[in-house]
Amino acid sequence: MHKRVRLYSLSTCPVCKKVKEFLKNNSVEYDLIEVDTLDSGEQWLAMKELKKINHLETFPTVVVETAVVGFDEESLRKILELNTSYDT
Amino acid sequence: MRKASEKFWNLIPHMTPEKLYEILEKYARSRGWQLNKDKDFVFELLKGLIKNEERYGYRSCPCRLASGDKKTDADIICPCLYSVEDIKEYGRCYCGLYVTKEYNEGKIKSNVVPERRKK
Repeated sequence: MHKRVRLYSLSTCPVCKKVKEFLKNNSVEYDLIEVDTLDSGEQWLAMKELKKINHLETFPTVVVETAVVGFDEESLRKILELNTSYDT
Repeated sequence: MRKASEKFWNLIPHMTPEKLYEILEKYARSRGWQLNKDKDFVFELLKGLIKNEERYGYRSCPCRLASGDKKTDADIICPCLYSVEDIKEYGRCYCGLYVTKEYNEGKIKSNVVPERRKK
């Protein structure tokens, strides 16, 4: 499984700062999208993406994307929170 | 030639987080609230408020994205329109600047305050 972490943040928001510190302290690499510092076009795009995953468009929002390569049933069940065949 | 707005802003003494703290502490008291006892956190918020005032001309909530249009952002100018209800229900406003005495005494569990603002 491959993971990618994105943080939607505001430069003025101390809670966003806490999340940044948490990720740093745990050595998590992430893409930072500081929405309020973007120009209007970039900001519009960033908000469109954020809305897809968090309709309230609040900050901070951490998005963890996981890519499952190939038909890896165990990983797919885990990531999609589906029952495993040995659950029942 | 300098713009009239520049001249106007130069007449206003430069706002600092320390000055703003004093002002907002008095304001909080007048409403029966308190400022969050976590001073570092509060000063980060105050810096955010000052930055927003410099950018937009009004102190919009540092934890929300402002549009830059005062009319559109009227509900998120600090203290935001939702602060009274949030403080009543959660003991703190959305960003955590204004809190109740009980919140500062640790009697209310610190939770994420859900966004009331409609998109």
